[in-house]
Amino acid sequence: MSTPSTGSRGLGARLYRGLSSVPMWAFALVWLLPSLGLFVNSFRTRDGQRGSGFWRTVPDQFTIENYQTVFEANTVNSLGVSLLNSLAISIPATIIPISIAAFAAYGFAWIDFKGRKWLFIITVSILAIPLQVALIPLLKMYVGGAHLTLPFIGKTLTFIPAWGINGTSTAVWLTHTGFAMPFAIFLLHNYISSLPKDIFESARIDGADHFTIFWRLVLPLSIPVLAAFAIFQFLWTWNDFLIALTMIGSANPDALPTTVAIANLAGDFGRNEHLLPAGAFVQAFVPLVVFFALQRYFVRGLLAGSIKG
Amino acid sequence: MNLSRWKSMLALLFALALFTAACSGDEVVDAAGDAADAAGDAAEDVVDDVTDDDAMEEDDDAMEDDDAMEDDDAMEDGAMEDTGVVTITGPERDESEAGALQTALSAFGEANGIDITYTGSADWEAEINVALEGGTEPDISIFPQPGKLADFARDGRLLEVPADTAASVSANWDAGSWGFGTVDGTQFGIPNKTDLKSLVWYQPARFEALGYEIPESWDELLALTDQAIADGNTPWCVGIESGQATGWPFTDWVEDVMLRTAGPEAYDQWVAGDLDFADPQVVGVFEAVKELWDRPGAVYADSGSISATAFQANGQPLVDGDCLMHRQASFFSAFMPEGTPVADGSEGAVDVFYFPANGDSRPILVAGTLVGAFHDRPEVWAVMEYLGGPEFANARQAAQKEAKGGDGSLSGFLTAVKGADLSLYEPLAQSMMEIMANAEVARFDGSDLMPADVGAGTFWSEGTSFVNGDVTALEAAEAIDASWP
Repeated sequence: MSTPSTGSRGLGARLYRGLSSVPMWAFALVWLLPSLGLFVNSFRTRDGQRGSGFWRTVPDQFTIENYQTVFEANTVNSLGVSLLNSLAISIPATIIPISIAAFAAYGFAWIDFKGRKWLFIITVSILAIPLQVALIPLLKMYVGGAHLTLPFIGKTLTFIPAWGINGTSTAVWLTHTGFAMPFAIFLLHNYISSLPKDIFESARIDGADHFTIFWRLVLPLSIPVLAAFAIFQFLWTWNDFLIALTMIGSANPDALPTTVAIANLAGDFGRNEHLLPAGAFVQAFVPLVVFFALQRYFVRGLLAGSIKG
Repeated sequence: MNLSRWKSMLALLFALALFTAACSGDEVVDAAGDAADAAGDAAEDVVDDVTDDDAMEEDDDAMEDDDAMEDDDAMEDGAMEDTGVVTITGPERDESEAGALQTALSAFGEANGIDITYTGSADWEAEINVALEGGTEPDISIFPQPGKLADFARDGRLLEVPADTAASVSANWDAGSWGFGTVDGTQFGIPNKTDLKSLVWYQPARFEALGYEIPESWDELLALTDQAIADGNTPWCVGIESGQATGWPFTDWVEDVMLRTAGPEAYDQWVAGDLDFADPQVVGVFEAVKELWDRPGAVYADSGSISATAFQANGQPLVDGDCLMHRQASFFSAFMPEGTPVADGSEGAVDVFYFPANGDSRPILVAGTLVGAFHDRPEVWAVMEYLGGPEFANARQAAQKEAKGGDGSLSGFLTAVKGADLSLYEPLAQSMMEIMANAEVARFDGSDLMPADVGAGTFWSEGTSFVNGDVTALEAAEAIDASWP
């Protein structure tokens, strides 16, 4: 290949790259604009936010008062404690389903047992059940347990004792764990079943049992998909409002996560709505950290199982 | 035993498990008898074990739940044991409001050995339904709408106020306010707080400079509107945008004018659904409000149109002098720009006058909260009685004023209870309480009494369309009638 041709191709390519990035930047800017407005408004006073649009701010009006207010320890609205509550919900609700689903996915993919196909179909079809329909029955079970009084003899069997865990973060992460399971198993199964068969056979020949194969081979190879699912699940549980509100609600305000605490920030008749942008950025900070820390796995994991080869 | 029999037995067991899971909860609460009690005791032991093992910060929570379960047991046995714990939920959640409420409750609780906890939530309306379904309802709830209280009362969820409690608390309230808690002739709710809606916010200094008098009658108010327009001043600030509740300030106007032009009897029929929206009296009120707003130069709307202007955004233009008057409830003090002086005689101070009426009856439109009880225990009724009395109002007012900045600050709390200590209130609040005391006719905000489909639905949405000019008053009224359940 001669030098001039390389040069002209390089120029064209550079021009193409440069031009093609223009609409990209334009799109990114348009998409970022609402967040930017929210961010700017989070540093403005109530009267400032009510009086004019964020684009009309002058920097010397900025104040960090809103952030101070949302963190001030007080009776109902402090975000500091609620952040810890959010972590107490999101971390178990991320780690537990991944651990269980990884075992299950390996079983479905590589252990040959009777009814495997049907069990897998049932598991995946549970994905279609909306979690909203199960919230109240679950809450009842957390409060009162599951009992059956046998007819005629009047004997009561207790299948699930009355834990009374409503109003605790346990009820929330337990619910998240349950509802995450079908998707986790589905995603991990697609990835794990696409691992090359040869390595399992050679491991078997070397005398490895299922547990060793899972622990020494499958888990290390599955890190991208595990990380991708962890991001999904963490974001979903961190941003969850409905389940936390149902399972904790007013029963125990000290255990409420950030989402519900922020909803309460706005105040009666929305008189403290100016605190919401600051609250939103406090809430968004942790997921952003998680996302950027794990983002190199994100795209790799998203493709998991999509190309079998 | 062959394989298929094993399978069918497994399936049976599975079905049984599903069935029990589905009808759980009810068993413990409803079923009486030794067996259920035994199960409850066993369950408590398990809770204790869990508590011991997992301890940590959830310790206290588990303990509270433990208490709650004992409540259930107590109810099953028909006994009313004093647990010394009372839980209250409600929609008020501002730091100052909820904090003052808790302070007032704690003061009573400490004096009487009751541990009282108040929890406010932005989603109280949804949450109380969930809690009732799940069997986790609080002992007492604070209702912002008598309509919701009546719904629960008719469903048999709420407990009737015992005669002795009712007798002692009813003496604290005038018949009108007390009647807000009456459902089909039975007392279920106790009034707890009052907001006054028939108010017009204005700046006395500007009125004086322009030579305007406070209108004493509805006719004078209309005349003042015309005069202000003729002088080149914008008389009114109006904005009815409020997110999903857009239109409620319009319904307040309609209710207030309805009370003035059609009278309280027609108002009661209308709220109860016996007088159609399409009735000429109601349609006439719709049109009267719009006619007033549509007079050229009558309304300053901060965002261009009335329905696009947030109701909160009317404080700034009033202070800036873009308009002379703004009709809004007593709580609007919270939406005045920070540092606005109230009723202290200074240049920029804002004050209120009574939204006037022809004749001497001086009807007022009010809103407020009622308390209703879900559990029958002596300490619950003791707290209920306290919540409906002047001691509570005074304690809350003192705490709330302190939270809002001490002397010279408006607390935002208002009550029509007899025996409230007026010296705790600022002059502006005192004048509001005087208006309430002088009123012969008081009616609760009608949209809070109507079925939610109308009062929190079509009345708002059709009213907004009417204000926008998309539909005529009659079309809006007929659409609202059609949605009445």
